[in-house]
Amino acid sequence: MKYAFYPGCAVHSSSKEYGDSCKAISKVLGIELVEIPDWNCCGAIDAIYSYKPLFSLALDARNLSLAERMGTDIITLCSACYYTLSRTNKLLREDSGLKNKVEEALGSAGLNYKGGVKVRHFLEVLLSDMGLEKIGEKVKIPLTAMNVASYYGCFLVRPPDLTNFDDPEHPTSLDELVETLGASKVEYYGKTRCCGASLGITDEEVMLELSKKILLNAKDAGANCMITACPLCHFNLDAKQKDVESKFDLKIDLPILHFTQLIGLAFGIEPKELGLHKNCVSPKKILPQYVRSVA
Amino acid sequence: MQHDMQHEKDNHSERMKLVASLTSKRARQDFVKEVMKMPGGENILDCIQCGLCAGSCPTRFAMDYSPMQIIKMVHLGMREKVLSSSTIWICSTCYICYTRCPRAINFTTLMMSLRNLAIEENFVDKNGIKPKFHRSFFEIVNKYGRLHEPELFTRILKKSDLKSLFHNAALGWRLWRRGKLQIRAPKIEQNNDLFSILERTSKEGS
Repeated sequence: MKYAFYPGCAVHSSSKEYGDSCKAISKVLGIELVEIPDWNCCGAIDAIYSYKPLFSLALDARNLSLAERMGTDIITLCSACYYTLSRTNKLLREDSGLKNKVEEALGSAGLNYKGGVKVRHFLEVLLSDMGLEKIGEKVKIPLTAMNVASYYGCFLVRPPDLTNFDDPEHPTSLDELVETLGASKVEYYGKTRCCGASLGITDEEVMLELSKKILLNAKDAGANCMITACPLCHFNLDAKQKDVESKFDLKIDLPILHFTQLIGLAFGIEPKELGLHKNCVSPKKILPQYVRSVA
Repeated sequence: MQHDMQHEKDNHSERMKLVASLTSKRARQDFVKEVMKMPGGENILDCIQCGLCAGSCPTRFAMDYSPMQIIKMVHLGMREKVLSSSTIWICSTCYICYTRCPRAINFTTLMMSLRNLAIEENFVDKNGIKPKFHRSFFEIVNKYGRLHEPELFTRILKKSDLKSLFHNAALGWRLWRRGKLQIRAPKIEQNNDLFSILERTSKEGS
């Protein structure tokens, strides 16, 4: 299976290990991800949209048009890119006035977009195009000692009219994946609560409060690790976990893995190839016995 | 008893202040009409003030007015107060209010539209950071085609705030040590595309 791959800016910088682990498991599963040549930033939810809405939509349309040339669906790893590109796609389909304006802007750069591309999250592709059964077949090391809290966050499942592959408030897709890999799922209410997103840059206190609630909630429910499906959620929960600890004088020490890293571990892929050494909270203590010595 | 009476009095004067701040019927209608034209504001008049949005909002604790109150303030034509509220900037756009709203009011998207209006009319949040965040993000992406994370941080950081500088330097070090701090700015090949797109979309006035 071949797809147009849209990594997004974070996967090229602060979330490199997410992209690496995605590539590693894709190889095992026979999924071919071809990076969209010369893709640009999607506008990051409303970072650009709230300042220059039309420009933001046209930025997305450029990505969509580049993917359309490749003739396949767009696959993203980032929930924020997933939302942003899907929103633009929907707006262009429904609002002909807007479509004309965006088309004109695209035309000035010698591009056009007919509207035939579908935007999909890598998780959804794994579940619908591959299926849990096929993923289960590739499991070499069942992760029996891991109690995994799946963190869905916001844009993977909301708003429901854009992302309707799972329930907006009680999603189960990641949990099902966790069980397929031989690990135990952890039920906790924080799984779709917001981590604070870009407030981490502009209003850090608020973001730290939100992330603290999620982390503590998952720990209290018995989790010994957490998985995410978005680089921004991962950044707030992993890279900033130390800041949460120092602000609230807590010891959390909860390893946060990208869901692709968890799959990779179960597939028996080397921790180094999955970029586990790049996670800020060291996941060493929860790795299956055999890999612990290698990592 | 004394306390209750005092409370009652405070409440009364609060209410009187609120009534005094209300604008004419004309202004009320104007603001409602203006909001109804924005993405997210289309069915703002359907609100039944049930409070589900206010109770669901994860960042309500940091806002001066709850989502429900903001909607009522739009109905009442309190344009200045809405645009200078902290609510429009504190919203983390998690879409839980829209998901739960029994009247399908897309409050989250409305927040983005109101931010846009607030930036255009030079309203700022209490720290003065938010409009700068949006502008800087735009400028960086327009320059490189992609986001350059360290540049966004350094542009927004208050250089006078030593504590925050120190704190962010520690975060930068944590990332750099793991090879995740992108020192060199990214660059897309067809950057000219963005310039012509910007030029064209700017002509449209948005």
